Amino acid sequence: MSEFWEVLQEHLPEFSSGLWVTIRLVVASFLIAMTVGTLVAAMRIAPLRWLNWLGGIYVEAFRNVPLLVLLIIAFSGLPRAGVPIDQWQAGIACLGLYTAAYIAEALRSGVFAVGKGQIEAALSLGLTYPRTMRKIILPQAARTVIPALGSLVLAMIKNSAIVGGSIVALSDLLNQAREVNSDTGQYNEVFFWAAVGFLLLTLTVTLLIRYLERRFEIRR
Amino acid sequence: MNGTHWRLIAVAMVVFVSVLAVACGDDEDDGGEETTATEVEQFPADTTMGKIQEAGEITIGVKYDVPPFGLNNPQTGEVEGFDVDLGTYIAEKLGVEVQTREATSDNRIPLLVDGTIDLILSTMTITEERDLEVDFSEPYYVANGDVLVPEGSDIQSLDDLNGKRVCTALGSTYADTIEKEAPQAELRLVDLYSECFDLVQAGQVDAVSTDNVILTGMVIQDPTLQLLGLDYTTEPYGIGIPEGDTEMKQFVDDTLAEYIDSGTWQEAYDEWVGQYVAEDQQQGPPDITLDEAIALFPLEK
Repeated sequence: MSEFWEVLQEHLPEFSSGLWVTIRLVVASFLIAMTVGTLVAAMRIAPLRWLNWLGGIYVEAFRNVPLLVLLIIAFSGLPRAGVPIDQWQAGIACLGLYTAAYIAEALRSGVFAVGKGQIEAALSLGLTYPRTMRKIILPQAARTVIPALGSLVLAMIKNSAIVGGSIVALSDLLNQAREVNSDTGQYNEVFFWAAVGFLLLTLTVTLLIRYLERRFEIRR
Repeated sequence: MNGTHWRLIAVAMVVFVSVLAVACGDDEDDGGEETTATEVEQFPADTTMGKIQEAGEITIGVKYDVPPFGLNNPQTGEVEGFDVDLGTYIAEKLGVEVQTREATSDNRIPLLVDGTIDLILSTMTITEERDLEVDFSEPYYVANGDVLVPEGSDIQSLDDLNGKRVCTALGSTYADTIEKEAPQAELRLVDLYSECFDLVQAGQVDAVSTDNVILTGMVIQDPTLQLLGLDYTTEPYGIGIPEGDTEMKQFVDDTLAEYIDSGTWQEAYDEWVGQYVAEDQQQGPPDITLDEAIALFPLEK
């Protein structure tokens, strides 16, 4: 038991710097994922055929290619094609754009979950399409997509480890843990603490999602 | 077509049964192959050698991406190299088949500890720290640390690595060495040397540092890369043996001595390494002992 604490004490700088890198990676990727995801969802539900189509291509491309492959293409392929990209850019772009595809689908299904009658009612009352979206549909959709978005954010936090474990080798929590492991050989202790680090992040997010769910719940 | 079909099923069943046999351990007594060639010594059933003979095969953990020591050759589909030859020689001494499994710098010790592989032959430098987890044979090769850079690089010495992106493999000795020699270097730690190779070609790192023989393999594949020829560390390779298995260590050491004395070592060297190394850099079998090797990489603290 004491070995567990010793490993943590001795390598706290590595673990905490790794955790900090993971946090920054996750936050930046989340911002990209939400922005791009919302835009793509808007394209998918817009009343314009070619926009739907464009959004569909985005979703299918990013949702159907493994994140690891995206990372290799971005980090190892793009520079060969003359596009310079560093570790952070590759990590954030891939994780963000990959997650955005899922978020777009979650948002789209949330909008479709709102009854068609609501749109028709709003439009027949003379509201414009954007206004109908903003005032009637999105508030109701937001409520239904919170649990789904929560799962996606949790998945994204866990997927962030792929950035550190891949050829990008960003010094995130996993990469640091592996370096400590190769220094000490104390596999169980080292990866126990790496797991604890990820749990800290995911459990915090879980609590936040619970709060949001309660905050927007429909009282029945 | 039907024939192939049945043959496939037969192969699958054989594989399944042998996996079962391995999983069930020593209570399986039939031991398949009776390759008792006259010169093969039969070992007592309770020794590791005896168990390997009973199983009819030995699994060695080798690199799959490090020519000329261990390479899964895409042209032939065979795993080959200096390490593989030595492992095959040991297998022949036991009269068993040799199986290879990919063992990277990071996973080779866990694979040996959990029994997935019987021996590590994975360009593994002997260090005191590793000696705590596994037993080492006497050194079977001595490599030197070097740095590989792209053509036209301004890196000419270890000092120049400061502020530069340097790639090496997780679990190798070089992460520590580079931190010591060039503290300002930005280390990139990846699983495989082939990934370092990929990164330096893509311009994502400025240099790769590891054993000269591994780097030589990269230059063979891409002549625009070059070695600095610094030879800044001495890295004696040892065969990894499960910790505390003194009989196995004795057997491996004896076999290695025979491998060297019979001239087989030199043949393997000429085939795999010698042809790529300049005339004045050719080397013979290691003249360093295990204790001397351990002293080169003592425990920190």
